[in-house]
Amino acid sequence: MKISFTVNGRSQELEIRPERTLLEVLRDDLGLTGTKHGCDSGECGACTVLIDGEPANSCLVLTPAVRGRHVLTIEGLAEDGKLHPLQQAFIDHGALQCGFCGSGMILSAKALLDRNPSPSRAEVRRGLAGNLCRCSGYQQIVDAVMDAADRLREVR
Amino acid sequence: MKKRGRGVGVMWYPTHPVGSNPSSAFAKINSDGSMVVMAGAKDVGQGSTTVLAQVAAACLGVPLDWVSMVTGDTGLTPYDGGSTGSRVTYIASRAVELAVAQAKKPLLLVASEHLGVPVEDLESGDGRIWVRSDPSRSIGIPAVAAECYSKKATVPVGAASYAAPGLTPPDPETGQGRSYPSYIYATHMAEVEVDTETGEVEVLRFVAAHDSGTIINPLLAKGQIRGGVSMGIGMALTEQILFQEGRPLNPNFMDYVIPTAMDVPDIEVILCDTPDPTSAFGVKAVGEASVVPTAPAIINAIYDAVGVRIYDLPATPEKILHALKTALASSEQQAASGK
Amino acid sequence: MIDPAIADHEYAGQPRRNEDTKGPDGPAFVSSFLRGDSLAGLQEKTQGIIGRSVPRHDAYQAVAGALQYTEDLRFPGMLHCRILRARYPHALILRVDTSRALDVPGVAAVITSRDVPHNRLGPMQQQHVLADERVRYLGDPVAAVAAETPETALEAAHLIEVEYRELPAVFDPEEALKPGAPILHGASNLFQRQNVRHGNVEKGFVESDLIVEESFRTPFLEHAAIEPQVALALPSGDGVIVYSPSSKPFSIQREVARALAIRQNRVRVIGTASGGGFGGKNEPILEPTLAILALKTGRPVRGLFTREEEFVASTVRHPFIMNYRSGVSRSGRILARHIRLIADTGAYPAMDSKTGGKTALVKGAMMAAGPYRIDNVLVEAIAVYTNQPVASNMRGPGVPQVCFACESHTETIARRLGMDSLEFRLLNAYQEGDVTPFGDTLFSVGLKQTMRQAAAAFGWAKEAGR
Repeated sequence: MKISFTVNGRSQELEIRPERTLLEVLRDDLGLTGTKHGCDSGECGACTVLIDGEPANSCLVLTPAVRGRHVLTIEGLAEDGKLHPLQQAFIDHGALQCGFCGSGMILSAKALLDRNPSPSRAEVRRGLAGNLCRCSGYQQIVDAVMDAADRLREVR
Repeated sequence: MKKRGRGVGVMWYPTHPVGSNPSSAFAKINSDGSMVVMAGAKDVGQGSTTVLAQVAAACLGVPLDWVSMVTGDTGLTPYDGGSTGSRVTYIASRAVELAVAQAKKPLLLVASEHLGVPVEDLESGDGRIWVRSDPSRSIGIPAVAAECYSKKATVPVGAASYAAPGLTPPDPETGQGRSYPSYIYATHMAEVEVDTETGEVEVLRFVAAHDSGTIINPLLAKGQIRGGVSMGIGMALTEQILFQEGRPLNPNFMDYVIPTAMDVPDIEVILCDTPDPTSAFGVKAVGEASVVPTAPAIINAIYDAVGVRIYDLPATPEKILHALKTALASSEQQAASGK
Repeated sequence: MIDPAIADHEYAGQPRRNEDTKGPDGPAFVSSFLRGDSLAGLQEKTQGIIGRSVPRHDAYQAVAGALQYTEDLRFPGMLHCRILRARYPHALILRVDTSRALDVPGVAAVITSRDVPHNRLGPMQQQHVLADERVRYLGDPVAAVAAETPETALEAAHLIEVEYRELPAVFDPEEALKPGAPILHGASNLFQRQNVRHGNVEKGFVESDLIVEESFRTPFLEHAAIEPQVALALPSGDGVIVYSPSSKPFSIQREVARALAIRQNRVRVIGTASGGGFGGKNEPILEPTLAILALKTGRPVRGLFTREEEFVASTVRHPFIMNYRSGVSRSGRILARHIRLIADTGAYPAMDSKTGGKTALVKGAMMAAGPYRIDNVLVEAIAVYTNQPVASNMRGPGVPQVCFACESHTETIARRLGMDSLEFRLLNAYQEGDVTPFGDTLFSVGLKQTMRQAAAAFGWAKEAGR
């Protein structure tokens, strides 16, 4: 079936089998491999993307469900080659080690900050509870999100 | 009712796995004084490539961004025993140090000619080589590198292999032998809150103090330690593969529960400055140690909070409730019979 | 230079000195850094490069989603591999028939043990690429399919017919040592023994004012890296290129070459970004199979474990059963410690290191008594086979288990003596120059420092600053 939707600001019109997940289509058809495949059952959050600004586990989303909607992947976060403050903060705070959870983590954080520009550390932790990380112990990730929140508030 | 308690656990852990485990590296200095180091050691997410680049830059005496690394490719890099057993920083850094030293030799000879002093009297840093007793007499590393290529027709390359010397495998009957070159130590302290109605445990506060030798990169080291504590919290409270006749009953992240961002508190990390005399820059190891004393610190804290000791990990809410009930029943029994 | 491929247990036995290993022309050409320099001294000498908090070299690519992990690599004509695993935890293989699988459209190859030139892996040569006569745990690989899609490969794998004769199985290490237990290898399920003997524990107990005995257990644990096991092999020139996140690319090279019965120069292992290892991506549990399929099909072949496969077919942490008995003096000195450890090593010796899967028990046994000065120590440790997944190295093999036991036990003792937990530990803790129960002299011992600094930062009630 033909599905039209927007990915990272660009319209896509794809002819695909309806049972294919958004994760597969993003990675295999659109070559956007920044979104990762960790568990196939929506439990690890490595496949998190934003659909109309809301975080979703793309491994559980059947592609027809995004018809007419806006999908944001990690590749769409930087603008004109300039990193989003979240991405820069993740670098500065050593938030990622192996990096595999990174795309999902950063997008969940973006959704959180878009909803709540001045979160507490506890609110950040709650907002990221659906993104598993086995490397970092989360603290430097939380530091990065708090720092990015500051930077974003300054810009506004 | 929620009750708080605190607990401590201390540990020691060897650098270097059991067995012979050499590491090797190549270094080549370009005509502009920048350098590429090819090291067998594979970065597995712990940041070894970055740490080895720091070691290489410090040894050559150049800014960090003059050094590039190629790692973990059997077609391009020489052998390394593997990124396991807390060995990479300790062993691979030595191999890199030696390879860079060899590549540096022709540069030092050129500098020695220009500055009119023996090589032993030279120091290097920040892209320059100078006379130790008179730092105003110096020459840039790019200049001497260029001269190696052009006037001396010498390409500055180095190769080295290193293994911890003098190790012997432990005797299976007595354990005697010198199995490891060095050891690291740590103390973990935890404060927990136990809900006596649900058996749930929240880790409120955590301090991890580590003797890991010289720390090349504190940001990466602290990240590693926090990650290990997180794994230790999982070991203490939630993680177990349940088997029935050899089949795992919980082969997914829903039922094999690893800590989320809500399960791990902020962890204060203290890096003690305790250089090791046998390694490059006094390094030891970081990666594995932080998962070692975490569980007992938490289990001891639970005991401190509610007076029950869990002997069989993980300390799930069911086990804690059961232990509390048993303890209550037995103390009621004692009170009843002790009249 | 040593030939690492054949280096095994030959140790130099040289005395240890600081300048033991020099550059080719002696320490003059090594940097002038003094060993044992304080961090402040090193920071000054290296313009702050040593001791600097620099972000990871690939941090930019990671945050931009541009870092390529193994599953992100695409090659034209790439096939997908799925592995058929044992139906029973212990069984003889009587017959394998792949004909129906081969008939599925989109299947490029199906292989069994017959297709493996040298079907033994690991330093102990006891694991196989694909099982030939016997399976010993549910994750044991029996056959592999390469097909156009993972779904096709899975469908075909289900059509492979395997006839088994089921054997009795054992799932508990203590049961596995009883007479009449099903035997997995050789004559006994006892895989390994590691003792530590120092002094005379019976004498130490006699001299003790208090004796405490406790037992502890830890379960099977999984590394649970967010990236599952994955690798990719493609034919290249006269050999094969393998992309793998493995922590040990050179071991993988050696094992793939040996399984293919070719020289190592024809196998290139390119280490890819790892999505987490923790000791679980050390062993050649995918690469040799993929290499064989790649050479057979002439096409790139990728293998990826499902999350479920991770738990049954990748390696796990050893469960330990631990018994601690300690004798202490009234004043709080530990006089004797007798420890018994039983590790469940699963169905095969691990392939992780040159010791052939012995690391966890050795490290566990050596570290078991804790970082304490004890004149009389006896550790009796064994590792036993059961029909469960292969236990191997997971972050700190053997030591988190024994430290849980030792430090819990230490707490019990301290409370029975009425001493503060930290005071008791400080009284017995190692310091510079102490000798371990296995004969090693300790230097650079920062243990007490870590205790004091932790206590100060934590606000441990009784300050331990002596």
